[in-house]
Amino acid sequence: MSKKLLTLLLILAVFVIAGCGGEKKEEKKPAAPPEPQVLNLFSWADNFDPKVIEKFEQEYKCKVNYDVFGNNEELLAKIQAGGAQYDVIQPSDYMVATMLKLNLLEELNMANIPNSKNIVSTLKAPVYDPTGKYSIVYTWGVTGIVYNKKFVKEEPASWNDLWNDEYKGRIILLNDNREVIGMALKKDGFSNNSTNPEEVAKAVADLKKLVPNVLAFDTDTIKQKFIAEEAWIGMMWSGDASFTYNDNKNIGFTVPKEGTVIWADTFAIPKGAKHKELAEKFINFIYEPKISAQNYEYIGYNDPNEKAMQYHSKEFKNDPMLKIGYENIDKGEWLTDIGEALTMYDRYWTELKTGK
Amino acid sequence: MRNGKLLVIPTVAWLSIFFVIPLLIVVAVSFASRTAYGQIFFQLTISNYIRFLEPLYLSIFAGTLFTAILTTVLTILMGYPLAYYIAQLPKKWQQPALVLAMIPFWINFLIRSYAWVIILRSQGVLNTLLLRIGVIDQPLQLLYNDTAVMLGMVYALLPFMVLPIYVSLEQLDYRLLEAASDLGAKPFTAFRKITLPLTIPGIAAGTILVFISSLGMFVVPDVMGGAKSALIGNLIQNQFLSARDWPFGSALSIVLAVLSLVLIMLYYKALSLQEGGERNVKDLA
Repeated sequence: MSKKLLTLLLILAVFVIAGCGGEKKEEKKPAAPPEPQVLNLFSWADNFDPKVIEKFEQEYKCKVNYDVFGNNEELLAKIQAGGAQYDVIQPSDYMVATMLKLNLLEELNMANIPNSKNIVSTLKAPVYDPTGKYSIVYTWGVTGIVYNKKFVKEEPASWNDLWNDEYKGRIILLNDNREVIGMALKKDGFSNNSTNPEEVAKAVADLKKLVPNVLAFDTDTIKQKFIAEEAWIGMMWSGDASFTYNDNKNIGFTVPKEGTVIWADTFAIPKGAKHKELAEKFINFIYEPKISAQNYEYIGYNDPNEKAMQYHSKEFKNDPMLKIGYENIDKGEWLTDIGEALTMYDRYWTELKTGK
Repeated sequence: MRNGKLLVIPTVAWLSIFFVIPLLIVVAVSFASRTAYGQIFFQLTISNYIRFLEPLYLSIFAGTLFTAILTTVLTILMGYPLAYYIAQLPKKWQQPALVLAMIPFWINFLIRSYAWVIILRSQGVLNTLLLRIGVIDQPLQLLYNDTAVMLGMVYALLPFMVLPIYVSLEQLDYRLLEAASDLGAKPFTAFRKITLPLTIPGIAAGTILVFISSLGMFVVPDVMGGAKSALIGNLIQNQFLSARDWPFGSALSIVLAVLSLVLIMLYYKALSLQEGGERNVKDLA
């Protein structure tokens, strides 16, 4: 009897402990490549049209191992632990900067990636990779105000509109310290990379007035909160706004006049990658105009590829959320690595979360 | 006997490789510092521990302790009657009842937390039902507050309390209760004087399981609490991810582990004193 119980208890423990581990799903370990024709891709989940990957495998007679990470910090930890097992990685903008400083990236051989010329000029050689030799923009977007037209009658024009008491208990902020503190910095007319203690303190003081009105901090399930109309107004990434709008047509999205964050996920190759040339061919393949059109229609993000526009469907070109991204590209400021100041941001973030 | 010792080698090897060594690494990192770009820089310092003593972090720790204690008390109050009820069922129903109590745990905990979100949100199952039958005319705000966090924690950890208590109830010698009744004890007196003291070991085991698990919890506050209340688990998670401050995160983990250990030792001491006292009384009788 009690042996059975013990077994049951153990089973239970395994499930709960597995649950507490949270977001990490099991990942397929890339098999040690038995032959050169294997491409080990390390990226975000659902970041490609699987058919596009299949096409690449057929054309280049190779096998693509698609491994996923949940956030940039996880990517960094894995690459530091021995990045050579991957050939292509997809760090976000600020992580490219960090990886460059830590000397973790290979210089891309642009001769193998002629299609990199197709990228819109505004996204070439951005601040996080000033030479443009180590990364190429894959997906990009801006942070803006998302709102439900049923409850928010006038289109918000400024980040200040979040501080309206009418929306008490209906506001969502991203669960990300750089985004939220950066937003308040922008609202006050500062850079969202400010490391000036006075500017950051002012921004945080403003946020402390906003937090009691906040329903939740969320990045992972923010879309559902707006689709189900639990939340009326908040911060959101343009790609998520597009997704949300497709499920709930009351959703509006706008980029406030004070400016905002622009972000990108990129292609890069880690130091010591075993199949660098195949990796470059893969990157080049993704930017083939037709392939690129197919791929971005599937993933639903802004296509940075100018040559692909002619192949995109009308729906994609007229998607209001994606359009807002294109129109506001100049209002965006990249988040850069702020080094030591990150500790100050984290402390303020903890204060905001605990209401101290 | 020698052979018996040899059999232990795999376990010891396993524990030293996958438990002791990682733990030592965490201890070592907790005395290091963070470079500007989030690297671990090894130079002996206790600054991470000193930083923990700031009121901001101490208050998070106190809040976490309070939540964990409240969760434990609530799971005892709810788990004990349930275990008692199951132990009173006819033998053939006991096993199925236990399995029923555990079936939800065959589904990943994260998914079950989101299921609660679907039930409790403003357009969720519960609010829709209450609106339909006219009990309320405005959806209730059931999610993203401390009550929701507590609900999620108790829900997640209840079986850890029920099972050990059930085991101790199951082993209870019911002839003692008959004797008590024969000697004129009312049911409640018999429960207080016999059943409860004899099931203390079950409650103790359940308490340890629930208390430790709730100290480290970070999924529930994120999903059901709207990430608004920071427990120590969330703080540690943040240090390893967004803040990229592994040394401070490691120091927090060590503090958490040491304090849990101390609390458990105190708890056991209190229990054994109590049990010892009871035994003395019995010996005298």
